[in-house]
Amino acid sequence: MAKLEAANASPGAAATEKWSVRRLFSEWRELGIIAALIMTVLVFTAIDPEFLSSYNLVNIVLQASVTAILAMAVTFVIITGGIDLSIGTALALSAVVSGLLMSQGYPLPVVVLGTLATGALAGLFNGTIITLSGITPFVVTLGSMSIFSGLALIVSGGQTVYGIPPEFSDLLAGKIGPIPTPIVIAFVVLVVSSVVMRMTKLGEYLIALGGAREVARLAGIKVGFYTAIAYVISSSLAAVGAMVTVGRLGAADPALGADLLLPAIAAAVMGGADLNGGEGSMLGAVIGALLIATLQAGLTFLNVQAFYQQVAIGVVIILALLSNRLQKA
Amino acid sequence: MSASTAKPLLSLKGISKSFPGVKALQNVHLDLYPGEIHALMGENGAGKSTLLKVMFGAYSADEGAFELSGEPVSIRGPVDALHKGISMVHQELSLVPQLSAIQNIVLGWEKSVAGFIDWSAARREALAALARLDFQGNPHVPVSRLSVGQQQTVELARAIAANAKIIILDEPTASLSTKESEKLFSILRELRADGHALVYVSHRLAEVFDLADRATVLRDGQYVGTLLRGPDLNETSLVKMMVGRSLEDFAIQHEATLGAVALKVDGLARNGVFQNVSFEVRRGEIVGMAGMVGAGRTEVARCIAGADRIDAGSVSVNGKALSLSSPSDAVRAGIAFLTEDRKHQGLALRMSLAKNATLTRVPTRMGFINRTKQAADAKSALASVGARMPTTRLAGQLSGGNQQKVVLAKWLLSGCDIFIFDEPTRGIDVGAKAEIYALMRDLADKGAAILMISSDLPEVLRMSDRVLVMREGTLSGEVARAEATEERIIAFASGGNTWQS
Ligand SMILES: Nc1ncnc2c1ncn2[C@@H]1O[C@H](COP(=O)(O)OP(=O)(O)OP(=O)(O)O)[C@@H](O)[C@H]1O
Ligand SMILES: [Mg+2]
Repeated sequence: MAKLEAANASPGAAATEKWSVRRLFSEWRELGIIAALIMTVLVFTAIDPEFLSSYNLVNIVLQASVTAILAMAVTFVIITGGIDLSIGTALALSAVVSGLLMSQGYPLPVVVLGTLATGALAGLFNGTIITLSGITPFVVTLGSMSIFSGLALIVSGGQTVYGIPPEFSDLLAGKIGPIPTPIVIAFVVLVVSSVVMRMTKLGEYLIALGGAREVARLAGIKVGFYTAIAYVISSSLAAVGAMVTVGRLGAADPALGADLLLPAIAAAVMGGADLNGGEGSMLGAVIGALLIATLQAGLTFLNVQAFYQQVAIGVVIILALLSNRLQKA
Repeated sequence: MSASTAKPLLSLKGISKSFPGVKALQNVHLDLYPGEIHALMGENGAGKSTLLKVMFGAYSADEGAFELSGEPVSIRGPVDALHKGISMVHQELSLVPQLSAIQNIVLGWEKSVAGFIDWSAARREALAALARLDFQGNPHVPVSRLSVGQQQTVELARAIAANAKIIILDEPTASLSTKESEKLFSILRELRADGHALVYVSHRLAEVFDLADRATVLRDGQYVGTLLRGPDLNETSLVKMMVGRSLEDFAIQHEATLGAVALKVDGLARNGVFQNVSFEVRRGEIVGMAGMVGAGRTEVARCIAGADRIDAGSVSVNGKALSLSSPSDAVRAGIAFLTEDRKHQGLALRMSLAKNATLTRVPTRMGFINRTKQAADAKSALASVGARMPTTRLAGQLSGGNQQKVVLAKWLLSGCDIFIFDEPTRGIDVGAKAEIYALMRDLADKGAAILMISSDLPEVLRMSDRVLVMREGTLSGEVARAEATEERIIAFASGGNTWQS
């Protein structure tokens, strides 16, 4: 009984506690994806040592920043046992709003608040419907994916929004010291998200209701409220990604979202998010995004055609998920 | 029962099994003879379920050998075990919740005619097995809509319908009432007479003396000994082998000092489930609630706890009527509800013990979780229910009884002062039971109001200041402590008596 279990905590009885690679991997879930990333970099470097040039590395991280932000966004939702298929188009909608506010000369605080509010409202829409209707998140966000995309086209009149004042581009796509701003923003999102997940009651509740919804409900946690919060966070982060995107492109394209969804979910899941809920890692999601960006950059670097690139990336994603599974078994 | 002369049906030799950080079994031997009921005893976490799962092929042993009728074999998995004539009733419910009782029993059905499964025959046999067990529920609705006790019955029916020579039962009576247990025992005796070998785990010692031909005791994953039915198989020797020391008798002497009415339930009803249930629980009082499986006790508790909607009547706390739209309303009013199904309703299995124990009240400091206090709170609450394991372990890695202790700890930390305990000692070993009884008494003495639903009649009699009895969705009787006897309670529970107070 308890004696046995207590005995195992004491150093003497540590026969089976001994260090092993297996144990390390199962305790530190991100290790697998980190290893995959390092291996990918090594393979490309072995093929062509030029790959590792610092310009290229910074560029990869820069490319990954928006995917990373979206991957963290969707991780918040996946942890609760849900899914957010609308983050891509929520980003597009926020981007269009952001672009319009910028091009019409509003000051920065208004632009930021307006964009975040757009994202938050999109998330509130998802969260409220999911909580009140009981329809599965997959279906609700499939619908809202289309709604947000339509709204983005309506608001922009179907046209890409140009005329972003250069000061916005400088601010959002410039550099802070030697580091490109999008990387700094993604890093801040990573730190804040990790702190929220690991150190606050909100994070603990999200994990609890993803892993054991009925248990959380019976423990008096307002599961509907916290579920909705997860979607609000998700779409708000998509709005953050929207500002970075608009800054980098110097324009807001209402059709932006479509290509962003799959890499974001793939990165989140490769990073350890369990689609059944209850588990997920912000750091893992970011590394997953880096892995995808590295593959894209490496294959482009090696002049692999775009069509083949897609196949290769798909294969790597499946391999990564497979090793995740083995790690958990 | 010529256990000494016959050849063992199944023999386990030198079985060892480790989980990360725990040696669950070390060099354990067990022989099973045809026509015997073999009790497997031990404290929570002693390794009983692990041994049974090794027998059933659900876990593979790290070391050790199997012999089936003298032939060395290996059991490659549950399907293989079923093929070899071994079936199992798990400690935690293992039915597919979306399927009906019949579908669950038929699942994995082996008999086929020219490659086609004869579904109608399968269904007939499933219904026959259910009928044999006096199953009261609807066999056609998803089992998730059945009570835990009824689900337990379905599990049993599945094991029986598989027609195995060896039937493994891991705490089959933990959520059955006396009457249903009796029914089960008579079936087990029939099976024994037919030459089946039965392995059986229970923390209710009386059952073991009643039923078992032999009892094997495990302690801390090691084989301690086997007692044959007879004068040697008695409470003192068994407890001593299990715990390693003698336990004092834990009869609880007390005079409850009753305070104000804390919980008042008036004319409560849920359509089609129970009607017109009214009672009060005072501070300082432990009110037992007895009844057969399916009488509606859990359903009443769920409504009081805000988990299900109430169709009529009211629930008041300290004289104030509550509006219960979700469990959070009940918890805020100070009502703690310890559910009987710990796996699906009590614990987040992939979270640590510390997080589970503090789920209702996460200690924070300046907006951040205070992990040090969280661990300390969990540790002390766990200690008070007799569990002393590291709070960083995951709930899913504990033995069933130790999981139950974590659920208890969670509600102790909730700050609630009205407790609804649904089968609080389900699966808990004799030693820890004593600690939990003392703790409940202590809670009551400190002014808590306790409603204790239990199918374990001796427990109801020992703990309750007053006993409510439910039958078929209504309160059928109320018995004061002084007049409470097993006979009276059973009479109310089964309809031999009508209301009197
Ligand atoms: N899946 C698992 N992962 C890690 N440890 C486990 C696992 N299952 C069981 N254990 C550990 O193995 C030991 C034996 O557990 P087991 O479930 O066999 O006990 P038990 O005798 O059945 O207890 P109970 O009476 O509480 O059901 C315990 O220390 C338990 O924590
Ligand atoms: Mg067990």
